[in-house]
Formats: sequence, structure tokens, C-alpha cells
Amino acid sequence: MFSAEETLAWLTNTANWDGRYGLWNLIAEHLALTFVALAIAAVIAVPLGLATGHTGRGEFAVLGAGSLSRSIPTMGLLFALVLLIGVQFRDLAVVLALVVIAVPPILAGVHSGVTTIPPPIRDAARAQGMTTWQVVRFVEVPLSLASSIGGLRIAYIQVFATVVIAPLVGLGGLGFGIVQGLALRNFPQVVASAAIIIVLTVLGDRILGLLQKRAGAKFEETQLMEKK
Amino acid sequence: MKLTRIAAASVAALVSVGVVLGVAGCAPATDTTSKPIVIGSQAYYSNEIIAEAYAQVLEDGGFTVDRQFSLGQRDVYVPALLAGEIDLFPEYTGNLLQFFDPAATATATNDVYAALKTALPKGLTALDMSPATDQDSYNVTQDFAKANGLESIADLAKLTNLKLGGAPELAERPYGPKGLLEKYGVTVSFEATGDTTVDSLVAGMVDMANVYSADPRIQQLKLVTLADPQGLFLASNVVPIASDNVNDKARSLVNAVSSAMTAQDLVALNVRSVDEKLSASVIAHDWLVSKGLLTK
Repeated sequence: MFSAEETLAWLTNTANWDGRYGLWNLIAEHLALTFVALAIAAVIAVPLGLATGHTGRGEFAVLGAGSLSRSIPTMGLLFALVLLIGVQFRDLAVVLALVVIAVPPILAGVHSGVTTIPPPIRDAARAQGMTTWQVVRFVEVPLSLASSIGGLRIAYIQVFATVVIAPLVGLGGLGFGIVQGLALRNFPQVVASAAIIIVLTVLGDRILGLLQKRAGAKFEETQLMEKK
Repeated sequence: MKLTRIAAASVAALVSVGVVLGVAGCAPATDTTSKPIVIGSQAYYSNEIIAEAYAQVLEDGGFTVDRQFSLGQRDVYVPALLAGEIDLFPEYTGNLLQFFDPAATATATNDVYAALKTALPKGLTALDMSPATDQDSYNVTQDFAKANGLESIADLAKLTNLKLGGAPELAERPYGPKGLLEKYGVTVSFEATGDTTVDSLVAGMVDMANVYSADPRIQQLKLVTLADPQGLFLASNVVPIASDNVNDKARSLVNAVSSAMTAQDLVALNVRSVDEKLSASVIAHDWLVSKGLLTK
């Protein structure tokens, strides 16, 4: 069933990269769906996480959102959304379904990033005469950045891996090659599509990991300063 | 998954042997002493109803059956059929022929059936085919048909900017965009609408859609199925595929089901499933009784 040579031959055939359902188009569509969903999720989750983290209230809701989203079958949700809002808006349905799985990890990342800031730092900021807004803007946001990016990283992996179901409702993305390839028994196409999904998932994870590390280094600096 | 199936089958076999030895020790020997007939079905409600009809007539005839329904698509269950894990499966002549012989050229009903018989691997037999068909067909909305005077696929040749919707694999099928151009001179752009094909057609996102001919929505939504005078689509009649474990008595029972099932019957069965949300066993039972194949 699996043959490395055939897969490579399929991948290197330019005919499979061009056209409406060529790989270039599918990769672009896959990334677009992923990033639109992540951006919307971040717009919802970051302010919410800052609020719950800053006030220390709503931890229950943050944890609840996490376990709730894990228990919702994404495919069922997607079909329900398509039925609900109409097939013309299936892009919106896919994005909404993805936002549902992307919000909780970002929310949890931001929330725990803020709550784990050592209290003396926040106290010092207040003692300097900072307003609440300034504490959030100049202390909590930068210091929780590493943890927030960590949440985004988990969301990216989950969303990118889930966009694969988009072809079931008539959208593209890299899942197309898997659905079409299975039906046509074109296994090189299936393996090649899956390999691209894996590579792009790991690549995105690594890039976000680097950003997380850099943000983390800043956090360490402040902690060192605190100790001195 | 294979292991669990084998385990389940062995448990079932042990239990049935126990029952036969314990309870029927002095009863006259029946066919049930042989191993049960394992009946499979696709993960397609219509296919499951047909499989259920086979199961019920066989049980009524004194056979032990083991239902292994909703086994997904051909890639999953054909290997199981070949391995002897499944004995009986409702299939479709054209689609199955295309699976075993992708280069097959036959499209007419009897040619397809004859070609399928020769294409089937050793150990599998096509029993009598039914007049009921469930095959690919191109459909347009009533409004679109009226506005453009469409009755046959050939009428599409005068239209431009046609959008065809269907499952992703339609792009590469012989009856897909390529076949349309070769046989009818019709140029289409393809949209992979997947499971939302019919909805996309009704919403006007595509002009023409590939729908199975026994799909109840063709009637419900008043879709117009375009005639196919050039034989673009392979005829696809319902046909039971049997292993050597299905004996002559069982075969004749299943053949009776096939010959009783008309194309209208199949659509009616599907309508009951979609509209009334009844289980396959209830739908199959009612139909068998109405045809006199079951007594109660």
C-alpha cells in the first residue's frame, strides 16, 4: 500500500501542485483557514484570559472551557453549523468550529501566564503608582507572553490538524488529498498529503516554540532582576 | 480491528456451537450446524437496509447470521470479503466492477453484470442482480432545467460556465469532467462539494450535481435527473456478492429478495429511512412482509 518511491513521484509531479485542487492552492487554503481561526480565537481569548488572570476570578470557567471543548466532537459540530447557517457560509462554519477548539488553549495560556507572575512584581508596579491598565499593559502582558504563546502553539497544532476535515463540507485544504486519494485508492496522494500536513504542523510548532523561548528569556531576566 | 472481529466471530461461533449442542441435541439436523453466514454492509443507510433484508430471509430459512454492518467503503470491506471474514454483501454491479477493473468499458446493465462476473476474484460469486439500481447520475434543479430546456446531458453542450459538484474523487472518475467532455462535448468546472453536494445544488453554488439515483432527495427536492443516452455512467444494479460459505439454499433465498426489489422499492425504502427515521430492520421487515417473503 505504501511506497516511498511512488509517493515521491507523486510529490515531484508538477501537475499535482497546480490548478484549483493543486497542492499550492490547498496549502494556501489550509493556512488561511488556520490563521483566520487562530486570529479570531486570539481576539476572544487574550482579553478574556487577561481579565480572569488579573482579577483571579473565573478560573473555574477557564478550566471548564478547556474540558468542554475537548469533549465536543468537532466533525459533528461542523456539520451542525453548516446545517444551521447554510451551505453558502460553509467557510464561516469551518472557521467557527475551529475557533471553538482554539479558544480554550489560548485562554488557559494567557490566564496561567498572568496568575504565575510573582505577586511582588505586581505589588512593586502598583507601589510605583501604576494604574490597573498600566499594570496590565506594562507588567502582565509582557510577563505572560511566553505562556500565552505556549497556548497559541497548542491551538495551532490542534487547529492545523483539524482543518483536514474541511473537504467533507466542500472546502479545500490538505485534507482534500486524503479524502480524494482514499476514494480513488491513490495511496501515494494520501501519504504525500499526510506528510505535508505533518511537516507544516511540526514547522509551525517549532517557529512558535522559538518565539515562546525568546519571550521566556525576557521573563527570566525580570526574575533575575527581582532577585538582585 | 481485525483481531477484535476475529475474536468476536470466534466467541459467536463458540456460543452458537454450545447452543446447538446443548439445546438442539436431539432436534433434527438443520443448516444451523454450519458456521453462521456473516453479512456485511457499507456505511450507507440504503445498503444496510438491503443487508438487513438478506439477514431476515436467511434467519427465516433457518440459517444463523452474523450482522457486521456499517463497514465503511470498499477499501475496508473487500479485503475482509476476500479473506473469508464476510460471506454475503449487498453490492452494486457498476461500482464494484470499476473497483476490480478500473479500465472496464461496459456501461449497459447486462454487459456490466457479465463483466463483473468475470472480474470477481476466485471465491466470490455475484448472485442474481436486482432490477433495483443505485448509480451515479447528474442532476439539476427544476428551475435550471426549465430555464435552459434540459432533459439530457447532451443538452448541456450549449451552456457555458457550468459548475459541477460532487465528491472529491469525481474529479478523476471516468464519468467526471473528462468523460463529460469526451462523450458529450460538455465543459464543466469542478467543485468538490463533498457531503454538501445536494445542498450546494439547491443553494445555487453549483449548476449540476452527482447524486445517487436512489437518493430520496431527488424526489423531495424535485431535482431533474438528466438522461444519459451515451452511457456515460456505468449501470449499477444491486447485486449480492457471496462467498462459498453461502450454500444453494441460502443463495436462492437471497436471489428471491433481489428479484422482488424494484428500483421504485429501493427509493421507497430510502425515503422511509430518511423521512421516518426508522431502523433498517423495521424497514426491511415491513418490505419483506409486503412482498410475501416473510410471513409476519
